[in-house]
Amino acid sequence: MIQPKIEYDKLTTGYEFAPASFKLDREMVTAYLKATEDKTGLYKESIIIPPMDIAALAMAALLTGLSLPPGTIHVSQELEFIDIANIGETLTSYARVSRKVERGKLHMLTIGINVLGQKKTAVITGEFGFILPPS
Amino acid sequence: MASGLNLDELRVGMNLPELKRPVTQEHINLYAEASQDFNPIHIDQEFARQTQLGGTIAHGMLILAYIAEFMTNFFGQGWLTSGKLSTRFKAPARPGDTVTVSGKITKMQKEDGFSLIYCEVLCQNQQGEAVIVGETKVRVEA
Repeated sequence: MIQPKIEYDKLTTGYEFAPASFKLDREMVTAYLKATEDKTGLYKESIIIPPMDIAALAMAALLTGLSLPPGTIHVSQELEFIDIANIGETLTSYARVSRKVERGKLHMLTIGINVLGQKKTAVITGEFGFILPPS
Repeated sequence: MASGLNLDELRVGMNLPELKRPVTQEHINLYAEASQDFNPIHIDQEFARQTQLGGTIAHGMLILAYIAEFMTNFFGQGWLTSGKLSTRFKAPARPGDTVTVSGKITKMQKEDGFSLIYCEVLCQNQQGEAVIVGETKVRVEA
């Protein structure tokens, strides 16, 4: 997941982050289920990865390549779950700046993500919304 | 789960069964590991005390996971392949809070042999303060 960090100031609408690939094993999914106390029973005996686990790692991958100023707040989140991904599958997250708005003291950043599965078809799409402190 | 989901029983205005979760620092720390999000505002009490927030807060994505579980409990695996959510984070959840996820059906629509079910969802803390508000959509076989 390691990629060079880009500073917020250098971002422009349309900027595309380097794709980030990751793979979840059983241990990682078990750790996620423990942290979230998931009681659906859907994942313990199956190889399905909880989609929110994928979304969280896509966000981690994004933040690995992005330097946001202290005081940045994650204010909104859109997600669409399109297909199931399985343990051991290599997932690739693509991220792009959808909107960068600086109006007076209001600085807003929206980043779209698209996570593809091993078959190169969409698993999750979404948008992360941030409000940043005025520079 | 939704193996027992009967579309005929669904109605606009119907409340979905609530989900309650205590938020603890232990769970936040576990989530930091699982999500690889080690922002000190979540896990470093000393650091967090010196910020405007005055203490550690849960990852927004952790609380969002409770909404996903809430939807999965009702709509089952259909949520994993057609669920859509649009949410706003209104206030942080803190260690010691108990978060309750609630929601109700706001619209139902038939489309190509499926039913699209729209819901509004709300996460509140034990004081009734909104932590996350949002809307969801899921497609289920008609």
